Amino acid sequence: MARYLGAVVCFAGLAVPALGAAQAGQNATLRRAQQAYDNLEYRQVLTLARAALRERLTGAERARAYELLGFTYGAMDSILKAVDAFKQLVLIDPERQLDPNRVSPKAYSAFDVALRQVLLVRQLRVDSVSFVGGQGAVPVRFTVTQPARVVARAIGTGGTVVIDSGAWNGQVNLRWPARLAGGDPVPPGTYTLVVDARLGQNTFSASQPIRVSHGRVDTVPSVTSLPGYQFLPETEIPPQSWRPVGLAFLYTGGALVGTLGLESSSLGSGSKRELGLVGGAALVTGFVMMLRKPAPRPAAANILYNRLLRDQIARRNQDIARENVARRQQVQVTVAPVPQVTPK
Amino acid sequence: MSRAALGALLLALALRPAAGQLVTVGPQFALADYREVASGLRYRGSGFGGSLWARRDRLSVEAAVVRLSLDPADGSAATTGFTATQVDAWVAYDVAAYASVEVGVLHRSADPEFDAQSVGAVRVGARSFYEIGPGATVVFRANYLAAPKFSGGGRAAISLDLGLGLDIRLAGRLHGTATYAFNRMNRKTNPGGTGEIDAPIQASLARVGLALGL
Repeated sequence: MARYLGAVVCFAGLAVPALGAAQAGQNATLRRAQQAYDNLEYRQVLTLARAALRERLTGAERARAYELLGFTYGAMDSILKAVDAFKQLVLIDPERQLDPNRVSPKAYSAFDVALRQVLLVRQLRVDSVSFVGGQGAVPVRFTVTQPARVVARAIGTGGTVVIDSGAWNGQVNLRWPARLAGGDPVPPGTYTLVVDARLGQNTFSASQPIRVSHGRVDTVPSVTSLPGYQFLPETEIPPQSWRPVGLAFLYTGGALVGTLGLESSSLGSGSKRELGLVGGAALVTGFVMMLRKPAPRPAAANILYNRLLRDQIARRNQDIARENVARRQQVQVTVAPVPQVTPK
Repeated sequence: MSRAALGALLLALALRPAAGQLVTVGPQFALADYREVASGLRYRGSGFGGSLWARRDRLSVEAAVVRLSLDPADGSAATTGFTATQVDAWVAYDVAAYASVEVGVLHRSADPEFDAQSVGAVRVGARSFYEIGPGATVVFRANYLAAPKFSGGGRAAISLDLGLGLDIRLAGRLHGTATYAFNRMNRKTNPGGTGEIDAPIQASLARVGLALGL
């Protein structure tokens, strides 16, 4: 008995926050049932909730009543009855989802069992997507709660297009190319994506409105560079070296040695004034040039590299031009789900 | 136009850089040393001249003329000086990035005519040039002076001419130039048919000047 009470208190503590929010504006009997549940008066909850279900209730109130019954039966360890109550709940509100962190494991498992015993198509979702007609697809996903024969269709301006069909169970992921049988993109407009599930005599349908629009395909701009490749400077400044003064010394030395070698012995040693003047100027110039920043010189390897890079860019731009010609003949298809007004 | 304005205009033109500079022309100041026959006959002097240089692709042309006043040097046996006019010309063809082959002429005339030998010869040789820095080029040349003709007769089987040159771009179109030339001619004469005697000629010439790029 103590264990039973503990479980009840624990369950009630977890469930109350989920229930308290929707009390305002409810049916009076249902509100009393909610209060009884909040007070852990489970017998009274059962009586009042059943009485409320016999009254005229909105869909949301009816779902709330079954949910209260499900939680209460779960708290009272009447799992089969809890499952039955949750089955009624998901038939009224197939998208209803329980937070496993906020409800007791018993109630959650009863809800899960209820989902498996009823044929439902839940959580139908269509992602917003934009693609070039014929080169992409619209992701569609939904959950089928029992193994069933499922047909997914798009119904709208362009007629009815079967997206896919098959025997599926659980999470289903489809890709709809948004094309007609002839291969053309579906015309722009509003479509309803309908998923029909059939299991024996049981059927269930879920739908999601979507809007299809057409646009021009963006052309690709020409490139001026290739990723990862940069033009290199076509000139380079050689490192400073002794070369200028060395060459001046070499040339002047050559002239001096030549002069000394050619001088006639019979004419005596000639004047070195002229050579001193010009040779000195050459040596001073060489020394100054050694200290100066060297002149830039062509970098042959970089010039060749830049030429190859320019050729590659030109080739790429030719490809882009060809691609743009094709793109101007294509259609950009944009698909977006239309928000649905959920019943209160 | 006043002289000052003309000078300013010429200076402005000189300092403006030229896009494809193919011709330079300008005045030169020269120093010279001249020796003939024996060590006692030597002259020194200076003078003025001009030079012209032009290039088209691998072909280049160079010409220089200088008028020198040569006086007997200290200790010289000569008693009077003379005036010499020397003309040098070369046509060169680049055979490599740093080398050319060249042909040309050398002509030096003396005035008064018999105070020194006037000579004319054909040059054949080569030169090497190297840019040692931005706008600075050094040149070394060696020429064989073929078939020299002397006003006093004689022959010179071995005659050589060496040269060192420097060209610096000072600013814009303005260049500074300095060239050195040394030539030696092993002249032999046969006065009166008594047998050949040596009458060598040796001259060194330095030219320093400015040149304007066109």
